[in-house]
Amino acid sequence: MAEEKENVPVGEQVSKKGAKKQAKAAKKAEQKAENASAAAAQNAGGDGAEDHAAGRYGLSEMIQSKDKRSERNFVPVPELRGQVGKGLVWVRGRVHTSRAKGKQCFLILRQQSSTVQCILAVGDIISKQMVKFAGNIPKESIIDIQAKAVAVASKIESCTEQSLELSVEQIFVISQAKAQLPLQIEDASRPENAEDDGLNIRVNQDTRLDNRVLDLRTPANQAIFRLEAGVCRLFRDILTEQGFTEIHTPKIISAASEGGANVFTVSYFKDSAYLAQSPQLYKQMAIAADFDKVFTVGAVFRAEDSNTHRHLTEFVGLDLEMAFKYHYHEVLHTIGNTFTAIFKGLRDKYAREIESVGQQYKVDAFKFLEPPLILQFSEGVAMLREAGVETGDEEDLSTPNEKLLGRLVKAKYDTDFYILDKFPLAIRPFYTMPDPNNPVYSNSYDMFMRGEEILSGAQRIHDPEYLIERAKHHGIDTSKIAAYIESFRYGCPPHAGGGIGMERVVMLYLGLDNIRKTSMFPRDPKRLTP
Amino acid sequence: MYELKTLLPQFEIKLPTCMYALKNVSLAADALDSSAGPSTSSCRGQHRLENSRSRGSNANVNNPAATCALDLDSLGRQIQQLLKDDTATVTARQEKVLKQLEDLKTQLGQIRAGLGVCGKTFQHTTAFQNGGLKEIPLQDVVINGHPNFIPYALLALKNAWRDLYTIDVKTFTHSTMADIGPAAREFEANLAKVPVNPALPKINITLIWKNCEHTEMISSPTMYVPIYGEVNIIRYLGRVGPAEYRYEGSPLCNEIDLVLDICYQLLRCNTHKTQVAMVRLLDKRLQQQQYFGGAQMSVADIGVYSSLIRMPAITDKDLTPALVAWRKRAKLVVQI
Repeated sequence: MAEEKENVPVGEQVSKKGAKKQAKAAKKAEQKAENASAAAAQNAGGDGAEDHAAGRYGLSEMIQSKDKRSERNFVPVPELRGQVGKGLVWVRGRVHTSRAKGKQCFLILRQQSSTVQCILAVGDIISKQMVKFAGNIPKESIIDIQAKAVAVASKIESCTEQSLELSVEQIFVISQAKAQLPLQIEDASRPENAEDDGLNIRVNQDTRLDNRVLDLRTPANQAIFRLEAGVCRLFRDILTEQGFTEIHTPKIISAASEGGANVFTVSYFKDSAYLAQSPQLYKQMAIAADFDKVFTVGAVFRAEDSNTHRHLTEFVGLDLEMAFKYHYHEVLHTIGNTFTAIFKGLRDKYAREIESVGQQYKVDAFKFLEPPLILQFSEGVAMLREAGVETGDEEDLSTPNEKLLGRLVKAKYDTDFYILDKFPLAIRPFYTMPDPNNPVYSNSYDMFMRGEEILSGAQRIHDPEYLIERAKHHGIDTSKIAAYIESFRYGCPPHAGGGIGMERVVMLYLGLDNIRKTSMFPRDPKRLTP
Repeated sequence: MYELKTLLPQFEIKLPTCMYALKNVSLAADALDSSAGPSTSSCRGQHRLENSRSRGSNANVNNPAATCALDLDSLGRQIQQLLKDDTATVTARQEKVLKQLEDLKTQLGQIRAGLGVCGKTFQHTTAFQNGGLKEIPLQDVVINGHPNFIPYALLALKNAWRDLYTIDVKTFTHSTMADIGPAAREFEANLAKVPVNPALPKINITLIWKNCEHTEMISSPTMYVPIYGEVNIIRYLGRVGPAEYRYEGSPLCNEIDLVLDICYQLLRCNTHKTQVAMVRLLDKRLQQQQYFGGAQMSVADIGVYSSLIRMPAITDKDLTPALVAWRKRAKLVVQI
């Protein structure tokens, strides 16, 4: 497509081109005169039909770790700024686009999210054949180039390195890509909702996920997954600093750990086992085993056949559990402050990533308050009622109400993150500690980001007798949860906790519309590959 | 006609002043004829109705005098009978009357319950007269402020109302503010120092440090538009706050509003010259009074005091002696 377009103007503007060529030839003559002594030897080798640049380009042999080539000084693209006018450097990157035009070839080299323009012009060092070769390297191939960084007068708008270009002297293909790509990186990284743009080619979600390796190369995806790593790192760092211990819990379990959600069954030798849908039981056992404050980062499986924008069958759970002295608000504040610290860390250390996601997906920056806003469930219900929604005192928030409440809180307090405390006892699991002051409510809380629930937690009942009483009240067969109850029989400190889904937090932090965008290789009821 | 039971015997009924006061005749009737309580009260009702009608018609000028004489006659008869009786009968009669009243009260209670009328209606109306603050919970209020424009009025009001009204301020920092600075932090600490008295009526304020242009107040996003400017927030608080500071009904209302308007303008002044001009205006309003608008501290003083703190360029040199003296007086109350 692009080449055809290029050809049309070339035909029409012959006269202009001719004038330019002449001017260039004149320039070249001058250059030749200046570099005469240096270039004389090389020129003597082969001017006319012979390729005087042979050996300075070509397909590199497969790298099998034969030579170390430690003399080659590789410079990352973002650091090229410091190399302007300093001589030759090596750069390895991908061919983002390559376009040979007569005696010149413009090539955009990409390294992760950074791009730089490279230029090859026929001259003393570069031959026609070399320009042609460079123009024919398929997109996405990995190449090594040796080049000089040259400052440019006018900004190069299409690249991230706008103030310089690379004047190439050697070019080798390290790994060649197929000529036909299932999706174009440019299409995949085109900003959404840019309506004025004439070219409106989109890559749909399934094509992206089928060719995830290519899709992940877009600047936005590069940023998303670096940010996701940041969430995990901050979660670990912040909690470790507060005296938490990271634990690892089994993922193959013998019985469903939580009453409600469905579990995956796997064959386990002659028997069958389940995939853990929550590390909660093991977190609590670690508390009972005197670890005081624990957290875990690991896969969580949910066999829920829900094809929504926010459900995955496998995701990364960030869970924490903490013993407290007298009031579960000790834990609530710890969790809330952990979130605030994560948001602040992202805001301060990942501004570049957030910006590059924002270039593709236009969303408002995530807003939060410090310390986090804590509302009572009853206050939330009152706000909904004021907005004209009829909801019961002991009724769980429906998804539309949840979103509406999020909008109301945003309008009043201008925060995308808030905590709702004291949920009605009736809508919480049996192990939730009831509120001592009002039997309708419980010591439980939910946390919300952009109006969607991300964490659900509570003070757990740590007294085995009371736990049995509550389980019976809920009509649960106590023999099935005997192991759970048993773990509290040898003394257990009062504790509370909660867990979040990493993908969901990243999705909501960035304001993306689909959780599949924040899972590198998402698993949902309809997708098991790649 | 059907015999009707009156509904409001135990309440004091304020009669229009255009009518003559009439003595209660029910006791007299009781003394003459010891029939059941309810019927007596209905008699009284009829009696009064007749009287008022006769007066309203204004047909006969002598008529009221005639009724009066009639009353006097019955009273005299009653007194004579009382004098004849011994104290025991009087006590017995009194107890009887009390019992009848008690019966009436329960009867009325039943009627009210049957009608489904809220039992608190009466209390509500009285509460309204002395400010229905304890009964009607106030909407929680959010105030967005920039750390460069600290709403000192909150602290000033909090201190001034220490024994009258509780302003419970919770402070938050919005993500648009990386650092709120030492002045705002000190302000937060000072706010936290003021003790909260749970017995007093209370308003919850959420103060959010935010990168915003104006100090703004949001009470309910769905019901009301935001209120902009510290001065207007003072006005709002002045309306919902303790009765001593509610100025809408006061004759000084205009004066206070005027002073607050000057504060608003003062805060907008960029040059020292215009600021001093505003200070001169303030001095004109104050004159030799103790406080703005009189001898009592009002929200106007809070507004001026807070504005002057926000204008560190205005020193005591720029103030007149009267203003300096006022500032000292006000400082004792607002304690900033």
